[in-house]
Amino acid sequence: MSATTLEKLYSELDFAVLSVCKNELMTCLTEPPSWFKHFYPSINKNHQLNQEELPGFLQHFMFDAENHWQRKQPGQLKSGLWVEEAPDGTEWLMEATAVLVEDDRLLLINLTDKDHGTHQKKQQLMRENLLTKEKLELEVHRRTQQIREREEEIAIRLISAAVQRDEETGAHIRRIGLYSAEMAKELGWPMSHVDDIKLAAPMHDIGKIGIPDKILQKPGRLTEDEFAIMKDHSRIGGEMLAGSGISLLNTASIIANYHHEKWDGSGYPDGLKGKEIPEAARIVAIVDVYDALVHERVYKKAFSESKALAIMDEMAQDHLDPDLFAVFLSIIDRIREIKDRNQDEEI
Amino acid sequence: MIQKKICLLGAFSVGKTSLIKRFVESIFSDKYLTTIGVKINKKKLSIADQDINLMIWDLEGEDDYTEINTNYLRGSAGYILVADGTRAKTLDSALSIHKMVQDLLGDIPAVLAINKADIEDQWLISPASINDIDKNLTVIKTSAKSGDNVEELFTTLSQNMVGTK
Ligand SMILES: Nc1nc2c(ncn2[C@@H]2O[C@H](COP(=O)(O)OP(=O)(O)O)[C@@H](O)[C@H]2O)c(=O)[nH]1
Ligand SMILES: [Mg+2]
Repeated sequence: MSATTLEKLYSELDFAVLSVCKNELMTCLTEPPSWFKHFYPSINKNHQLNQEELPGFLQHFMFDAENHWQRKQPGQLKSGLWVEEAPDGTEWLMEATAVLVEDDRLLLINLTDKDHGTHQKKQQLMRENLLTKEKLELEVHRRTQQIREREEEIAIRLISAAVQRDEETGAHIRRIGLYSAEMAKELGWPMSHVDDIKLAAPMHDIGKIGIPDKILQKPGRLTEDEFAIMKDHSRIGGEMLAGSGISLLNTASIIANYHHEKWDGSGYPDGLKGKEIPEAARIVAIVDVYDALVHERVYKKAFSESKALAIMDEMAQDHLDPDLFAVFLSIIDRIREIKDRNQDEEI
Repeated sequence: MIQKKICLLGAFSVGKTSLIKRFVESIFSDKYLTTIGVKINKKKLSIADQDINLMIWDLEGEDDYTEINTNYLRGSAGYILVADGTRAKTLDSALSIHKMVQDLLGDIPAVLAINKADIEDQWLISPASINDIDKNLTVIKTSAKSGDNVEELFTTLSQNMVGTK
């Protein structure tokens, strides 16, 4: 390729081509493109430039270029895009490339303004999309949270309505869920399961819907036959909640069915023993007893916390899971806080 | 006159370019025009009778697809990290960039700007998470829009760089 062909090529590509000498002087090898004159009005072919006369960005790049040339490696090193303001106030997007051609250290500077427009538009669009995506994600998160809270509120109210004939209050139902969730958290359950038990535990007595008033609201002791019918509420609840394929309701079904099982196998409906009883049901058994003890019932006054825990300690021999009871004791501060914060919200 | 290079670093659209424009040219625009490539701005400052010529490097912000070209950081005397108070993730980006630069350049002066203080009621970066930031990193709430604390941002960093603070 003759020198003039090369020169034509450079000018076609709109390149300014500088040859860099060791003494930091650079020579303009071609007739510089017109845009280059915005920066160096009097420059022409063979004109010499000092490194200090280069834009700050290029001076910085010369360090990398120097390394590239010294390694004598084939290929080119690109500076990356930069914006330079000319003395006349116009802005130009350009890029420099360092190449070694037969020991000649060349610096090519080209304007990328031609595709600057499209590149800029593409980047702009992409980043605006990213911003919108960020906003949407935030909104989805906020809405999901809202829906979850609404669901909880509706569930609590429905459950309270269902067991209204019983003496249970909305506050009690809410507390059972919160205590159980606290236990599950302490036991390291995954967050989604913790969320499930928070709503599932309050449903444990829902089967009482199927128990006649005369038994459910009987003031005195139940006869053996009546008690047999009363006991049926766990099975009824378990069936009511079973088979939906929704994990929250599956948990609720298990809890409803097994929350009257006892650690020593003397409970109902199936007489399961020890760890045969699902963990969720063992948790609810503990927190249900606790809440009943520390609150007033028609048949008893509220016990102090220490009295209640002493009674439960006895029960941990045969009725309650002793390991889970130990966990319960270890988080008693948080349990008490839930109890104190969830009073008097009767629905 | 001493010359100091500083860089503005952070996620995209946090207000890096706007902070520089406010500081150098005292102007602000609500229109978002993403930065392509690098732009170097210059501004003279006087810190404790010393004149400094600041070379302020505005780098294209980080996003999911663009990483900072670490070559650009070479020779920096200090840097400003920028987060957008209304986008919690941008604080994480700023802090991870901080760590990356520390690994690369060592402990050089740095200041963290939490920008868009004019709309602090819409902030999603909580006071608690601001409080959790390493106390060695100065945090300044700025607004490129109102100009609040922008001057302070650059002078605080410059004071740290010339060692008067
Ligand atoms: N309200 C408000 N908007 C700002 C502020 N600083 C920047 N912006 C806006 O945020 C967007 C991104 O700003 P820009 O400086 O381009 O961010 P960069 O990508 O980090 O350089 C633009 O729309 C600006 O107008 C500020 O302090 N307050
Ligand atoms: Mg920018």
